[in-house]
Amino acid sequence: MDRPWGTTFDLSSLWDVIVLFAIVIAIAPFFGSYLGKVYSNRPAFGDTLLTPIENAVYRLLGTSPRRSMRAREYMWAVLLVNGVLLGFLYFWFTFQSSLPYDATGAPPMSWSLGFHSAASFTTNTDFTHFTNEAQMSMGSEMIAWQLALFVSPATGLAVAAAMIRGWIRKDGTLGNFYVDLTRSITRILLPLAIVGALLYVLMGVPETLTNFVTAHPITGGTQILYLGPVASFQSLSLLGTNGGGWYSANAASPLANPTALSNLWSIFLMMLIPFSTPFAFGQMIRKRGEAWPYFGTILIVVVVALTLFIAFQAASNPALATVPGLGVQTNGYPVGQEVRFSLPEGSMFQVVSVYGNVGANNMDIGALSPVAQIVLLFGMFTQSTPGGEGTGFGTLLLFAILAIFIAGLMVGRTPEYLGKKIGTAEVKYAALALLVHPAAILIPFGVAIVGGFANLPNAGIPANAHNFTSVLYEFTSESANNGSALSTAAFNDTTVFFNVAGAIVMLVGRFVPIWAMLQIGGLFSKQSEMPPGPGTLQTASVTFTIYLTLILIIISALFFLPVLALGPLAQITGGI
Amino acid sequence: MSSPPPTSSAPVPPPAHSRAGHVRATVVFLVLMVLVSGFAYPFLVVGIAQVIDPYAANGSILHYGNNGTIAGSALVAQNTSAPYLFWERPSPTDYNTTLGAVTPYGPTDPALAALLNETIAYMKAYGDYTVNATLPFWLVSQSASSIDPDLTPEAVLVQIPRVSGNTSLSIPFLQNLVNQHITQPPVPDLGVPYVDVLQLDLALLPLIGR
Repeated sequence: MDRPWGTTFDLSSLWDVIVLFAIVIAIAPFFGSYLGKVYSNRPAFGDTLLTPIENAVYRLLGTSPRRSMRAREYMWAVLLVNGVLLGFLYFWFTFQSSLPYDATGAPPMSWSLGFHSAASFTTNTDFTHFTNEAQMSMGSEMIAWQLALFVSPATGLAVAAAMIRGWIRKDGTLGNFYVDLTRSITRILLPLAIVGALLYVLMGVPETLTNFVTAHPITGGTQILYLGPVASFQSLSLLGTNGGGWYSANAASPLANPTALSNLWSIFLMMLIPFSTPFAFGQMIRKRGEAWPYFGTILIVVVVALTLFIAFQAASNPALATVPGLGVQTNGYPVGQEVRFSLPEGSMFQVVSVYGNVGANNMDIGALSPVAQIVLLFGMFTQSTPGGEGTGFGTLLLFAILAIFIAGLMVGRTPEYLGKKIGTAEVKYAALALLVHPAAILIPFGVAIVGGFANLPNAGIPANAHNFTSVLYEFTSESANNGSALSTAAFNDTTVFFNVAGAIVMLVGRFVPIWAMLQIGGLFSKQSEMPPGPGTLQTASVTFTIYLTLILIIISALFFLPVLALGPLAQITGGI
Repeated sequence: MSSPPPTSSAPVPPPAHSRAGHVRATVVFLVLMVLVSGFAYPFLVVGIAQVIDPYAANGSILHYGNNGTIAGSALVAQNTSAPYLFWERPSPTDYNTTLGAVTPYGPTDPALAALLNETIAYMKAYGDYTVNATLPFWLVSQSASSIDPDLTPEAVLVQIPRVSGNTSLSIPFLQNLVNQHITQPPVPDLGVPYVDVLQLDLALLPLIGR
């Protein structure tokens, strides 16, 4: 028994992680091509069944695919739908005890918690400042929150589709938001979520309308087992990169993620749409080769991140070397991990979840190795590898626009991408969207620390650095619309300050980049197409893939390296 | 800057929808979506789930005793820390699911090592762990969910001397019982072998006449 804690830190289950990557790589081009057909209204699988239904919905909405919106109108439609959604969620949460399905007697939320929660679910963040079991009724989860689980990823996909249409249109319009929303749900989210949920049930996840069962444990007392339509919620939450969990332990809860197999299925659900979106882009612009640089960039970043994460999680935690009776077992960081997931499987879930801006967790992020914490933070700094549904790929396109602009300046030619000229206005919007992210993190972070709102105790360098990381992670996660939390007992984020500041950060981090993406799409859509000249950058190439990866890493690292020195880096150097 | 001339200098066409049109589309869309996402979708999946796997769909509930009392869920740990039972992983919430998951100390926080020391001392005070000089990490560390129902086979086997000492069951008998309750991965190395402690204890109860 030289590995007394079992095979968990044995890397022998690395094979299933590699097989899962291979499956996603094999499926992504085909599924992405389907996505592209859905958003360009080309004949696609399911037309016979779904087209009549969609046409009926369009009639009810009073709209039609032929009524195409310009960027400004598209943006207003996004804000209107999401604004009404936010208001509905706020109303439900602050009155949940008077509304249906409150068998557990969850109390109404305070105004600030209701605002934070409503903003969190509307923006695809799903950062929670509450304990689901005690503070959320089943109606709040099944009716209110689940509505946002559909609408927010559909909004992200619609915005990405609209931005991409800038390259293929010349009439200044970007499509119809209501049509894009409807098709996102009928063609992608609803059918896949149903399949995902049924497979979850077969893997052991509850799916019932019974809210809870009272058990009588064998050593006495009572234990409340919270149930509900968990499988349908989890499936949709991960598929739509929302990341909210039915339980406060999210995908670490054995009810929500009972086996290694359900863990792998969860990873697949999280990867499917974000990893396929580059191929949807290739399909929509009818240049399939242009998808590969984006897919390559995403794959390089995720694989490197996962490798680092596993390596540092497997290394020994020096802070536990002094615990007698543990001996060699102090290797690694098994505190806050679940027994049933092996190290590679558990790590892949966590890295994919944070890099895909899902934000679900199957381990306690606060208990990870400090280097693993930096790896996760970096995924939220780039927020585009692959990033959340639609908006992640949109952000990657913003990085590409900047990269091509910089390359154009270096060779002294007019930068253009796929026949559309990248002018000053486009670059301004791209730079704005990318600069909003660090600003929305670092400004409230500074206010929280300097203003004393975080109310952190002075507990020595290791604990201080950890608490500091926790506050940084909070705003990073909110600005990236991620939703994972690096929690620590000393940092209470349920105060009015963190509710309100967090809600504002999430709304800014969501809708300012969406506005910039639509503006850029609108500008491109007004241009006629330029034929490629001798100075045109060959973007469907390995060179461009590497160049884009480096630009993305350098820009993201420059924004955030200084602040890392205060948190996780101090934990590494000062905590030993 | 001189951008390429737009395709037409014609006046901007009217928007696709009037203001009232936008409001109608938004309201009708969200009402339809509440019906689909809040009712049709979960009800459909619940209906199918209750047919294809009612045990899992209803929470993997386990019963015990002659009356079939609900003992708990195979997927949720509970307090089993009686001397004659196999113990679950420690829980900062005492397995109270209403409290959700509680976060552990940071990895380099000295309080973490102190807590582990305390847990090990508590375990050793309760029983004979001299067979192994060290305790498996999983047995003394808290999980992510605070209700992790599983332990590695090693972390269960190490408890056998204590269980045997507090019951009339022999060590080989208990080893055999534990071995029967090890869940192996469906495919080699897809996941890890583990023991569901509550199921093991429920099998143990009738054997010790409780």
